[in-house]
Amino acid sequence: MKITLEVDVLTNNNRAAAFNRQLFEETNTLVINIMSSPGAGKTTILEKTIEALANEYKIGVIEGDLATEKDAERIRTLGAQAVQINTHGGCHLDARMIAAVLPQFDFQHLDILFIENVGNLVCPSGYDLGQQHKVAVLSVPEGNDKIPKYPTMFMRTELVLLNKVDLLPYLDFDVEQAKKDLSYIHPQSKLIPLSAKTGEGMDEWLHWIREGVARCKKQSISQ
Amino acid sequence: MHEMALMEEIVQLIEQDARIKKVKYVKKVELIVGTLSNALPDALQFAFDVYKVQENNCLTTDAELIIHVEKAKAICTICGQQYEPVTKIAQCPTCLLPSGRMVAGETFRILAYEGG
Repeated sequence: MKITLEVDVLTNNNRAAAFNRQLFEETNTLVINIMSSPGAGKTTILEKTIEALANEYKIGVIEGDLATEKDAERIRTLGAQAVQINTHGGCHLDARMIAAVLPQFDFQHLDILFIENVGNLVCPSGYDLGQQHKVAVLSVPEGNDKIPKYPTMFMRTELVLLNKVDLLPYLDFDVEQAKKDLSYIHPQSKLIPLSAKTGEGMDEWLHWIREGVARCKKQSISQ
Repeated sequence: MHEMALMEEIVQLIEQDARIKKVKYVKKVELIVGTLSNALPDALQFAFDVYKVQENNCLTTDAELIIHVEKAKAICTICGQQYEPVTKIAQCPTCLLPSGRMVAGETFRILAYEGG
């Protein structure tokens, strides 16, 4: 017996993503899915971001890693709520994993939810989690070639945080070339050079987040 | 190797449907995979073979996977030329700009399955 299905392979994921998106929109929560290769500095950027915004906003974090609670513990010491998802070998977070932990957050009192994806420049870009924004972190020691070599990631993110710019004097990273590569692959994308360590460039990133929160709140007023 | 995870999605979707239609075993699965869909046919075949030998799904050990490859096609938004892009950055061979709108090649669907 032949049964015609004609369904997208990511149907179940996309259904969960739509569920997540509806919850985020109804509660006017800004949700940002942050992706990068391992070691680019996602958690450090999040720590500094939470420190800077803790007095303005209520922030939650979903941490995705193959194993351990290490990142969630780092975030919790700053007073933000962090829920760890361990994928046990899985190379990305999917929308159902996110949906499963959402009841642990109090969305009526949450302004921003950061999702720190599993460190990997390939698979995470293929899965919609229901977020409004996708951000990629690239770091100076990774070298200049990551944007052209992992085009799918950079085509699907609207903002690139170029981290560890404090190391530029010691390495051969060409920021202008990175901007050029990004504008070729995704002209609407934007690159912010920053250093989570020294704080350089962090203001522009924080400004981008504040604008996002304001947009979410404005939607709630107009509704 | 996200094809393992993608194949898990495929097996789950078929199982959901098989349960509803009271299908006990699956002998054939047909997919359509675009050349720019980010899924590699060889890796999908490998993942399929791994799932076949697992006892907790409806695929039989002699189940067959058929992949219909969908070629990539882009149309340049500037000059209108149709061409086959080799990467997702659809660079028009005439304009030399990444001005192509992808019209085929990104599909990744389950077409059908056969069982009883």
